[in-house]
Amino acid sequence: MRCSSPRVHRVTSRSPTLTLNPRPFVDHIPALHRRTKELEKERLLPGKILSFTTIRHPPNGFGQEPYTVALIERIDGSRVLAQLTREGKPHAIGAEVIPHLRRIRSMQNGLHVNDLKYEVVKTADIPLFTVHAYVLALTGPCGVGKTTITRSLLSLFSSVAAQVPVYTTRKSKRTDIDPYITVTEEKFETMVKHGEIIAHTVLRDRDDYRAGYRKEDIQAIWKQAKLPIVTTDLRLLEGLSKALGRETILSCGLLPPGTSRRRMLSTLLHRLRSRGQHTEKQIEAQLKVAEADLQAYSDHKHLFDHLLVNDQLETCVESIKELVTPNGRV
Amino acid sequence: MRETVYVLGGGQTRFGELWEASLADLIREAVDRAIENTEILPTDIDAVVIGNMLGGETAGQAHLGTLVSGCLPHHPPALRVEAACASGGLAVHTACALLESDKAETILVVGAEKLTDVPGETVTSALMHAADAEKDSPSGLTFPGIFALTATAYMHAYGISRENLSLVSACSHRAAVSNPFAQFRRELPPEAVSKSPLVADPLRLLDCSPISDGAAAIILSTKRESPVRIAASQLASERLSLSDRPSLTSFGSTRSAFDRALAEASWQRNDIDCIELHDCFSTATLIHLEDLGYCEEGEAIRLYCQKDTDSNGSLPVNPSGGLKACGHPIGATGVKQILDCYKQLTGQAPNQVRNAIRALAHNVGGVGATCVVHLLESIA
Amino acid sequence: MPASILAFGRYIPPRRIETKTIAAHWKRGSEQAEGLGIIEKSVASPDEDAFTLAWEAALLALETGKIDPKNIGAVFVGSESHPYAVKPTSAMLVTALKLENFCLAADLEFACKAGTEALQIVKAMVESRQIRAGLAIGTDTAQAKPGDALEYSAAAGAAAFVVGMHTIKHPGICTIDRTLSYTTDTPDFWRGTGEKYPTHAGRFTGEPAYFHHVETAARRILEEAKLKPSDIDHVVLHMPNAKFPKQAAKKLGFSDKQMSLGFIVPTIGNTYSACSPIGLTFVLEKAKKGERILLVSYGSGAGSDAFLLTMQQDGVPLSLDEDGTEIKHLSYAEYLQSTKVLA
Repeated sequence: MRCSSPRVHRVTSRSPTLTLNPRPFVDHIPALHRRTKELEKERLLPGKILSFTTIRHPPNGFGQEPYTVALIERIDGSRVLAQLTREGKPHAIGAEVIPHLRRIRSMQNGLHVNDLKYEVVKTADIPLFTVHAYVLALTGPCGVGKTTITRSLLSLFSSVAAQVPVYTTRKSKRTDIDPYITVTEEKFETMVKHGEIIAHTVLRDRDDYRAGYRKEDIQAIWKQAKLPIVTTDLRLLEGLSKALGRETILSCGLLPPGTSRRRMLSTLLHRLRSRGQHTEKQIEAQLKVAEADLQAYSDHKHLFDHLLVNDQLETCVESIKELVTPNGRV
Repeated sequence: MRETVYVLGGGQTRFGELWEASLADLIREAVDRAIENTEILPTDIDAVVIGNMLGGETAGQAHLGTLVSGCLPHHPPALRVEAACASGGLAVHTACALLESDKAETILVVGAEKLTDVPGETVTSALMHAADAEKDSPSGLTFPGIFALTATAYMHAYGISRENLSLVSACSHRAAVSNPFAQFRRELPPEAVSKSPLVADPLRLLDCSPISDGAAAIILSTKRESPVRIAASQLASERLSLSDRPSLTSFGSTRSAFDRALAEASWQRNDIDCIELHDCFSTATLIHLEDLGYCEEGEAIRLYCQKDTDSNGSLPVNPSGGLKACGHPIGATGVKQILDCYKQLTGQAPNQVRNAIRALAHNVGGVGATCVVHLLESIA
Repeated sequence: MPASILAFGRYIPPRRIETKTIAAHWKRGSEQAEGLGIIEKSVASPDEDAFTLAWEAALLALETGKIDPKNIGAVFVGSESHPYAVKPTSAMLVTALKLENFCLAADLEFACKAGTEALQIVKAMVESRQIRAGLAIGTDTAQAKPGDALEYSAAAGAAAFVVGMHTIKHPGICTIDRTLSYTTDTPDFWRGTGEKYPTHAGRFTGEPAYFHHVETAARRILEEAKLKPSDIDHVVLHMPNAKFPKQAAKKLGFSDKQMSLGFIVPTIGNTYSACSPIGLTFVLEKAKKGERILLVSYGSGAGSDAFLLTMQQDGVPLSLDEDGTEIKHLSYAEYLQSTKVLA
């Protein structure tokens, strides 16, 4: 059964210039006046950035160029949403800002709207890297906790650090959280030949597969003034060292807790088993590799700047954080 | 719930850029289909509730209750409700309240929105009506921008990678392939999401639900029975402006509404077989799943990496395609969610979750300022 | 009792364009720019205008001098780029600076000397006891027609002075001992109503305009005060470019040393109504107690204001940010975009 009123044939014009008013509500003069009086009451206080975004498509009246809007917490605890000025230091969560009166937009009727914008005067209390920066490499046997530490670091430094993607010939797994990019054997070989991939090796999971890093990816991260992080193995580390120069790598070797080699391996065995991701046979194989890895710390001392024990996650991450902040390394 | 509220069924228009249809056309089509599908007489309807946000701004039409009422020969009492993007859910919630208080026995609930008659800039400005006009708008924020502020904070706190985030939209599109009412019915490779243009950093175009037209209608009754009943209907509010919130990575309104709904229905969250979630933006989806308590903070992305959220997964999320792939005609979404849950619980969904007995519909307004949660149960 | 400058401030936007960049764009050699002696000039951001610049300078003056805004009884703003033809910049500043609403506000225009006129008027109001203290501001976001010679020099900036009677609490930085103005009708530089860019009369802007007025005013004020050029420790002249003020100084008998503190045009450009006022702020930061300052401005149309000031204490540098905002150098395209007002 249909509803009774007949469907009316559409006669209205489909022209997009149909009458409705696209102006924001604050364009109405009384609202604008109230806003000006609000500003008069506001105390000009510095603050810090809690979050930010860049608006790529400004609304009507705000011009054509993208601008950044931040949620700012002023020193008196109050919060405000405001644009950041284009001058000023790079913005980041935690960066310090001071207010300036600026022309935010002009209305269609010719009136200009002035409001507070904030200038970043001190960027966040996190490492500032120079352009020819370095790569943070975390190496260690399977089970020592590289992935967990990396994720923790990425979240601590998310605005100034990024993981370097790994190009690999292995098919992606359901459990993959790290940035693997699968390519064919041929493609991988081509990339190596052309020098696109600067460090590569053969790794083993169930089968042998190739893995490597692209120079472009590392440079792209540097360009964004961020720290590239790699969780890697000995051979890749060697490759990176050769390609970028040893001094460009801040190399941290991770050790499982334990006073003797045997105890360390035992810890790794326990961790690998509790993950439940591999068969006993696979674990056995991984342990053999782990043994070699631990041996490598002695055999290849020159490749490691620091050896850190990953007993408690937080402590280990804190140690790494200390290493990468300005007083630790320039 | 004081009375058993049955969902008799419903109908909807396709969602998308529907140039040939006006707001009134969309409403009429949805109402016609709902009445057809439920086989009731139009005169059986005691009252009408419609959810709509921008009728005034985009169609020059307020007073929508009576517009819908006029579609029925006996023009029953009618009202319109609004809670930004939660207008549809709020309409269902209001209808439940009217039914429970005996003001009506059979109610037609409609959700509708017409956004493509006006220029894009008008829609952009109008969407900001969902935020705080005095605190959020003056700085030139857009609605995606407000969610982007939560996304920046979320990604800073939990280190989610761009590649993984793209899995969220990809999952919704995969689900919608079989949905004839969806705006987008093609699979979307995650790489395409990662490469789509930035809208408000870090959110990209394909992280965001689209601008759509559409309408959906359902019929609820305490008098007529059906195999599906509403086990809980809860509404919660948070402070309107993001600048007044205690957290940028969690919406208290979702936590509150869902907790109360579970209590109302006497359910555990793991009793639920499928979720129609308010995936307005990909990062919001992750936040919602964490607020609903299905995973720890920062961990929701794992569900997508592991494909748990597919319809054959351990936690099916948006088997219809959600807002992202079905489209998001603002007022229609909340009603369409109930309709999709109904289809799941009666085995009629195109992307069917096996043995779906209990369903959750989660509808949010603004940046988590309003949340409406409905729990539905098949009592066949 | 002469009025004193109790506090001062300035604001120069942290963006510059080098004159050689402008020259390269127009495929001209850098000789013309070099001839003018300007290396780079300041450029306002698209979200700045003469009002926001004035706000920055005035705020700095009020904060540096710890002046209670409620004591300001008058605000005079001189500019040739007021944001509106009708709607005073000075009135907007009353609200923006949270001044006392029972306050006289007026906008002035006299090409490049409107800022110093503000200083004269506020001094008079203070000395006649009409107000306790007043704000005198010169501010401009000068526009020049692309390709015109003025493009090398027209810059953006603001300077603000709080003028009042010195007291024990506010001992004042310098007294404004004496001032005079010399005015004629001279068509050297003008901008018609509704025109976007000004027009200038080429070489006529030299001898009959700038030099005649500056020299006449300077000589007269020294005469009235019975001073010789050697009695002056610091000289600030209006700087439309680097050459004119040097030539005028030479003719008047002043040395490069006397000019050095306030000679800021090579790295900032000509900030029009703020030009000699900004030069004065640099002098006030560094001059010593007891030293004498001669300030002579010039405004096309035409006229010159001359001032004799005496430092009452050693100058103190303004507390601009330690590292300050980084100076950004613009390409010609970025510069052009900046000069378009926000849509």
